[in-house]
Amino acid sequence: MVVMQQEQNSAGIIEDLNVVFFGQRVLHNVHVRLKPHELAVIVGRSGSGKSTFLRSLNRLNECFPGCRTVGSVRLFLEDRWIDVYDSGFPAPRLRQRVAMVFQSPNVLPMSIERNVALPLRLVMGMSRSEAGHQVERALREAQLWDEVKDRLKQPAMTLSGGQQQRLCLARVLALEPQFLLLDEPTASLDFRASMKIEELLLRLKEKYTIVAVSHSLSQARRLADQIVVLKEGSVVQCLDAQDFERSATFQSLIEEIF
Amino acid sequence: MRRISESLLIGLSWLSTIGVVAGAGILVGYLIQRGLGTLSPELLFGDAPAWQAFIGRQPVWDGIWPAVVGTFSLVAISSIIAVPLGIAGGIYQAEYATEGWKAWSGFAIDLLAGLPSIVMGLFGFSLILFLRNSLMPAANTCLLLSSGCLALLVLPYLIRTTQTALEGITRDARVVGLSLGFTQWQNIVHVLLPSAGRGILSGVILAIGRSAEDTAVILLTGVVANSGLPRGIMDKYEALPFTIYYLAAEHRSVEELNRGFGAALVLLLLTSTLFLGAYWLRRTVERKWS
Repeated sequence: MVVMQQEQNSAGIIEDLNVVFFGQRVLHNVHVRLKPHELAVIVGRSGSGKSTFLRSLNRLNECFPGCRTVGSVRLFLEDRWIDVYDSGFPAPRLRQRVAMVFQSPNVLPMSIERNVALPLRLVMGMSRSEAGHQVERALREAQLWDEVKDRLKQPAMTLSGGQQQRLCLARVLALEPQFLLLDEPTASLDFRASMKIEELLLRLKEKYTIVAVSHSLSQARRLADQIVVLKEGSVVQCLDAQDFERSATFQSLIEEIF
Repeated sequence: MRRISESLLIGLSWLSTIGVVAGAGILVGYLIQRGLGTLSPELLFGDAPAWQAFIGRQPVWDGIWPAVVGTFSLVAISSIIAVPLGIAGGIYQAEYATEGWKAWSGFAIDLLAGLPSIVMGLFGFSLILFLRNSLMPAANTCLLLSSGCLALLVLPYLIRTTQTALEGITRDARVVGLSLGFTQWQNIVHVLLPSAGRGILSGVILAIGRSAEDTAVILLTGVVANSGLPRGIMDKYEALPFTIYYLAAEHRSVEELNRGFGAALVLLLLTSTLFLGAYWLRRTVERKWS
């Protein structure tokens, strides 16, 4: 009965999550509830396990050596609840549905178009022409289309940092994900490029459930529906929008982190 | 004191670079000086009419054309055997092997890399002796046997360069494909191998050079001084390194020795052409990929 209530109005339920790298505990009994079409921002000092938490949601930690994960991560995917670590749901499909954008833009060393089209063809098995349409749709969704439509065949490396980051976003949006994981997506960008990404995220959360790591409290305040504060691998606070409107709570949050 | 030792080190590294370039320059210059004069259709085809000999209609008795074709065939066949195997081995070592097994197989690969080529020749020779006394009484040393032994000789270079190139890819670059939902194999084929292309090419060039110049292996496994064009992979053949060896060893006049230099120049041209071919192949694959 309790489970049913929890699952209602949730997109993801993370319980008792522990992640260990080479015997060292990085995440410790983490509990987080994600709501659909909301943007949760994870804040905390560097080394507090923010990125590890993000990567535990799509099992990307497994790609690094010495990792062991215990606990339950349940996500509402493809119209049912999936236990990420205990359901046989294939990891490649999980990563397609729970897509990740990294801190520094990591475009593949190929053309702009192919950066988006190659995953479509490999992961979704699309034909060349199907992929072509999807590439345009995704580039429009990431608000990059107008800037690149005349130079699709050029190497992606020729784009600016902000454009590359939006290309990475387009690349994952094309794969029709349900969750977006963003690991400090504006950390390597200047102010204007960051603003552009932030605007984009606020629009994207209408379609996707988003979990973002941020190093900036003011950014978290602008974007978040929920702020999760991590300290040395544990959740020390979970605040919702009303909480951090109150300046006293926000003040204590600042002291908690810094 | 530190500044002096630093300038000394810088001077030394400059000197070594200049030394290498000068050494290569002097070597090639000397080859050209001695051999260039002999470069002519006659060096390649002897008395036979050039075009007829080129396409194999006329036998060549007094030219090095059969040796050119022999060396080219050796390199081609040994590359066909060794390059796919070597790249596959490198992928296995870098991406799939467990740490313990990697140490063992790595030791075996290093051992193979350190094997003198004459030992490999002896191995091929004994293999034929064994086959003659058991399964195939008609077996004889031939082009295929030499190519197989050469392939085994260059295999460790190919494995090691592929492995090193793959392992040199940063952890972040490795995860990109996987984070997009690629399977491990898709990630290897579409992200990792193309990124490692340059490293793999250097292995292929090393392998081509090694199988083109090796004399010890072919000496015991099928090369002869005079056989004409090889009629098939089970046939005896001529090869440039061996031709150079006997032209130099048995010369009776300066002209004959110069023909040896001419043959060396042709070998150099042949391997350069093969390197260019390998480079062009990589460029084509790269362009198709991006």
